[in-house]
Amino acid sequence: MKMTPTRRGVTSVIALSAAVLLAATGCARDGGGGRGGETSPGITDDSITLGITTPLSGPTAGPGTCTVAGLEAYMGAVNEAGGIEFGDGKTRTVEIKALDDAYDPQKASSNYQTLKNEAFAITSGLGTPTNLAWREAATADEVPQVFVMTGDPIFSQQSESPWSLGWVPAYPNEGAAFGEMLAKSSEDHKVAILFQNDDFGEGYVEGFKEAIKGSENIEVVGELSYEATDASVDAQLTELAATDADILFNAMSITPLVISSLERAQSIGWEPSWFLPSNTSSPTAILEPGGADAYPGVYSVAFSKAPASPKFADDEDVKTFLSDLKTYADYPEVPAFPHCMWSYMLGATLEEVFKDMQEPTRENFMEAVRSIEDFKAPLMLDGTSVNTTVDGEPAVSSVVVQKYNGKGFDTVEGIE
Amino acid sequence: MSNLLKKPAVRWGALVVLVALAVVLPLMLPEVANDTIARICVFAVAVLGLNVVMGYGGQVSLGQIFFLGLGSYVTAYGATNDWNIVLTFLAALVLPAIAGLVIALAAARLGGLAIAMVTIALPIVGLPLARRLDHWTGGSQGLSSRFSDAPEWTGLYHDQWQLYIVLVIAVVTFVLVRNFVRGKFGRALAIVKENEAVASSMGISPYWYKVLSFTIASMVGGISGFMYMSVVQYTSPETLAFHHSITLLAAMVVGGSATLAGSVIGGVYFVFVPVLTNAINPNLTAMLQGAILLLVLFLLPGGLASLPRRIAGLRRSSGSRPGAPPREEAATRAVQKAASKQPTRKADQ
Amino acid sequence: MGTFIQLLIDGLSTGSIYAALALAIVLVHQATGMVNFAQGAMAVLSGYIAYSLLGVGLPLIGAIIGAVVISFFVGALIERLLIRRFERGDEHTAVVVTIGLLTLITGICAWFWSYNNQLFPSLFPNQTIPVFGASVSLRSLGTIIVILVIMGLLQLLFVGTKLGLALRAVSINQQSAAFAGMPVGRLLMVGWGLASALGAVAGVLVAPQLTLTPGMMDTALVYALAAVILGGLSSPIGVVAAAGIIGVLENLAAVYVPFIGHDLKVAVPFLLIFVVLILRPQGLFGRKAVVRV
Repeated sequence: MKMTPTRRGVTSVIALSAAVLLAATGCARDGGGGRGGETSPGITDDSITLGITTPLSGPTAGPGTCTVAGLEAYMGAVNEAGGIEFGDGKTRTVEIKALDDAYDPQKASSNYQTLKNEAFAITSGLGTPTNLAWREAATADEVPQVFVMTGDPIFSQQSESPWSLGWVPAYPNEGAAFGEMLAKSSEDHKVAILFQNDDFGEGYVEGFKEAIKGSENIEVVGELSYEATDASVDAQLTELAATDADILFNAMSITPLVISSLERAQSIGWEPSWFLPSNTSSPTAILEPGGADAYPGVYSVAFSKAPASPKFADDEDVKTFLSDLKTYADYPEVPAFPHCMWSYMLGATLEEVFKDMQEPTRENFMEAVRSIEDFKAPLMLDGTSVNTTVDGEPAVSSVVVQKYNGKGFDTVEGIE
Repeated sequence: MSNLLKKPAVRWGALVVLVALAVVLPLMLPEVANDTIARICVFAVAVLGLNVVMGYGGQVSLGQIFFLGLGSYVTAYGATNDWNIVLTFLAALVLPAIAGLVIALAAARLGGLAIAMVTIALPIVGLPLARRLDHWTGGSQGLSSRFSDAPEWTGLYHDQWQLYIVLVIAVVTFVLVRNFVRGKFGRALAIVKENEAVASSMGISPYWYKVLSFTIASMVGGISGFMYMSVVQYTSPETLAFHHSITLLAAMVVGGSATLAGSVIGGVYFVFVPVLTNAINPNLTAMLQGAILLLVLFLLPGGLASLPRRIAGLRRSSGSRPGAPPREEAATRAVQKAASKQPTRKADQ
Repeated sequence: MGTFIQLLIDGLSTGSIYAALALAIVLVHQATGMVNFAQGAMAVLSGYIAYSLLGVGLPLIGAIIGAVVISFFVGALIERLLIRRFERGDEHTAVVVTIGLLTLITGICAWFWSYNNQLFPSLFPNQTIPVFGASVSLRSLGTIIVILVIMGLLQLLFVGTKLGLALRAVSINQQSAAFAGMPVGRLLMVGWGLASALGAVAGVLVAPQLTLTPGMMDTALVYALAAVILGGLSSPIGVVAAAGIIGVLENLAAVYVPFIGHDLKVAVPFLLIFVVLILRPQGLFGRKAVVRV
C-alpha cells in the first residue's frame, strides 16, 4: 500500500524526463535563448531599458543608492515630459532596472547575466571590482558598459575595453590636479599622505606623486594606509602628526572616518592644510560636523555643484535637481554623496547620446556614446565638461580645485 | 521514496535519467539559466566542504570562503601564466588543502568557539593580505581570465561549456565526499563529533580526525574556487570577504546540516536568494534575505533537506516512529534519542 | 615618547568601542549560553531609536534613556518570539538564527533610516586634555568611564545578586533550574533584554564617532568577538581588559612592526587569541568553560 503511490511518482518522473529529452532533440537553442541577433534587446519603438548593477545594501549602499536615484530623477522628469526623441525619429521613454550587487563581484556578474538580455545598455554602477568582474564578458557579448562610476582607467582605454567607458575622472587625475596646484606654489611644503588601501586610495596617491615629481619645493614626509573597514584612523594620524607636515593628502572615501579624522587632527594639535577627494568633501555632511574651519585650508576637487553649498542655494540647476530627486526617485534629503549629482548629469549625457542615435542598435549607441564633445550637463561647474572623444579618458576628465570657505566651496588657482 | 530508492534497478534508472538530463539540459536552457545552475554548482561544492568540517565534523568554521578565494586566486594565477589546465586544477586543490592542513594542525587543539575565532581570522586577514600580495593577486584590481571559454572544436556556447565543466567537477566531488562521510572515516568522525572522550577510548584520535576533516574541507573549498573562476572568470579581494563566509554557513544550515542534499540546497539558497530578493525589491535585499532565512529556520529548524521527513512525520504523527528511516549514518542515533518529541531535529543532544 | 603614549591612549579609546559590544555578548552568553551575532545590529537599532527620539524633540539624555528602555523590551521580545524556538536545539542552527537576525535588523534600519550616515550628538564635549604629552579626548574618556561602570555593575550582577545567579543557572542547565522553581522563560527574556539595553548604551556611545549607518557595528562585532574569546566568555572584567589590550597592541604593532603595518594590524588580535588559547584554553580571565554537550 505504501509502495504504490511512490512508484507511480518515480515512473512519472522518468516519463517526464523522457519527454523532455525527446523535446530536446528537436528544440534548437536559439528559439528561446535570447542571444541577441538583428535588433538589440531592451529597446522598442516607444521605450528603452537601462540596466544598473550597483551596491544597494552593505557598507557602500549610501553612494550606491545615489547612483540609481540621480538617474531615476533625471529620466523621471524626461518621461514626464513625454520621453526623448531619438536620432531615428522615434520618441521613447526610459525605463531603469536596477539590481543590488552588494559590492560583490560574483553578484555583479550574475546581475550582468540577467541585465544583458533585458537592458539595452548597462550604466552608472558603482565600484571597481564589481565593474571589472563583467568587463571582459561585456566586451565578448558586445553589451555596452557605459558611464560606470569607477576611476579605474582601464574602462576608458578603447583597445582594452571597446564596449566600456568610465564616467568619473580617473582617480589619478584627481590626485594629480591637487599635486599640480601644489607644485606651482612658490613655497616649500611637507606633505603627509594617508590613503585607503585599495585602488581608490592607491590611484589618488599615484596621480599626486606623478604630478609633484621633480618639484624641489615638495617633500613627502610620511605615507600611511588604512583599511576601508577600520573603525578609526587615530593611530595613523598620531603617527603622521609627528612628521609635522603642513599638508595632509587624505585619499579617503569613508564618510565617518573623514569626519573623525578632521576632528582628531585638530584635537592633537596638528593643523595642516587638507586635501580631500571629490566624494568625501560634502560641506554639510562632512566638513561642518568635522569642524573643518579650524584648518588653514581644506581643498577638494569637483566637477559638480554641491547642492548643500549656500552659494548654489538659488541655482536653477540645483533647484530642479533637488525637486526631481524628491519627485521621481523618492529621495527627499539633500544628498550627502556626490554620486546623486553625478548620475543625474549622466542622465543628461545619455539624453544627448540618444538624440544622436540613428539606429536602435548597441553598435550605433556606442558610436554615439563616443562622440559627445564639450557637453555641459546640468550641475556642471564652470571649467569642466563631458568629452567622450579622447581615447584613454573617461567621459568627465576635467576637475577644478576648490577651497572650503566655511559654508561651501570656491574655485581656486593656487594654494593660499 | 527512500525505500524505493534502495532497489538497485530503480537507482540505476534514476541515475541514467539524471545523467541524460545533465547532458541535454545545458544544450536547451537559456544562457541565464545555465549560468545560474553553474553558480549553484560552485556554491553547492563550497557548502559541501563546510559540511565536512562543520556538519559532519561538528567544528564551527567561519573561514570556508577563504579557501574558495585561495582556490580562485591559484586558478586565476595559473590561467594568466598559461599553466596546463590540469596542473592548475591540481594546484587549486592542493594549495588550499596544504593551507588548511597547516591551520588545522594548530587550530584543532582548540575547541568550540575558539576554533570559530581562529577560522574567522582567515577571511578577515586574507582580504588585506590579498591586496598586499599584488604581485600574485593583482592587488585590489584582482585577476580576470577567460580560460574557461568553450574551445572552437566543441561548437558550444561558453555558458554550456562552463556548465559542463562545473557539473562534472561537482558530481565527482560529491561522490568522493559521499564515500568519505559514509565510510570508515565518516563513522569515526561522527563519533568524534558526538563525544570526544568516547572516541579516544575507542582508539580514535579526535585531534587527527579534526585535522583531517578540516583539510578535506579546505581542499573542497579550493575545488569550489576553481569552479568559481570557471564561471565568474574574475576574482578580487572582495571574493573572500568575511560576510560571504557567514552566508555560506547560513546556506549550510538552511539546506540541512550534515546532508548531501542539504549542500545542494545550500548552493541553491546562496545563489538564488539574492536573485529572488532583487526581483522583489532591489532596495530591500538585506531585509528580505534576513526574513527568508529566519522564516525557513522557524518552520524547518533541521533545514530544507528535512522537509520530506517532516512531511512524512506529519502524515504519521499518530504513529510512534518518527519519519522515514534517515539516510545518514550520523542521524541514526540522534533520531533514536530525540524520539518522537522532535522528529525533524538530528545531531543534537 | 609622546607618540607612544598617544598610541597607547588611542588604542584604549578604540578598544572601548569593542568592549561595549563585547560586554553585551558576554551578558547574552552568560544568560542563555548563546553567542549572538546580531548584538551589534541590535545596538545599531537602539542607536536609531535614540536618533528618532531626538528627532521628536527629546533632549539627548532623555533620548538615550528612552532608547535603553525600549531596547530592553525589544531584546526580550526577540528572545520570546524568535530565539526561544532554537534555544534547546542544534547550536549551529542557533548561531545561524542570530546571523539571520543580524541581516534582518540591518535591512530594517536601512529601510527606515536609509544607508546614509546620520550624525549623532555625543554626551561628552568634543574637547581634549593633555596627559603626559599626549592629548586625550573627553569623549573617549567618558566612553571608557561608562564602560568601566557597566563592567563593574555586570560583575556585581553575576556574582552578587540573586538575579545574576538565576540567569547563570538557567544558562548552565535549564531543566535543573526549572525543577528548582525558577521562572526559566522569564529569566531568558530578562537576559536578552538586559543585553539589548546594554547594547543600546554601546550604540549611543560609539554613534557620535562612527556616525549612524546600518552597518556601523560590523567591524566592531568581529573585534568584540575576539575580545570575548580572549578575555573569557564568563568574565566582564576579562573582556574589557582584552578589548583594551587588543586596541593597544594593534596600534603598537601597526606603527612599530613594519611588516604588519596598518593594513595587516587586524591580524594582531587573532594571533594573540591563538597564542593565549593554546596556553590557556579558557581565555585570559575566564573560568573553565561549561560546555553544553
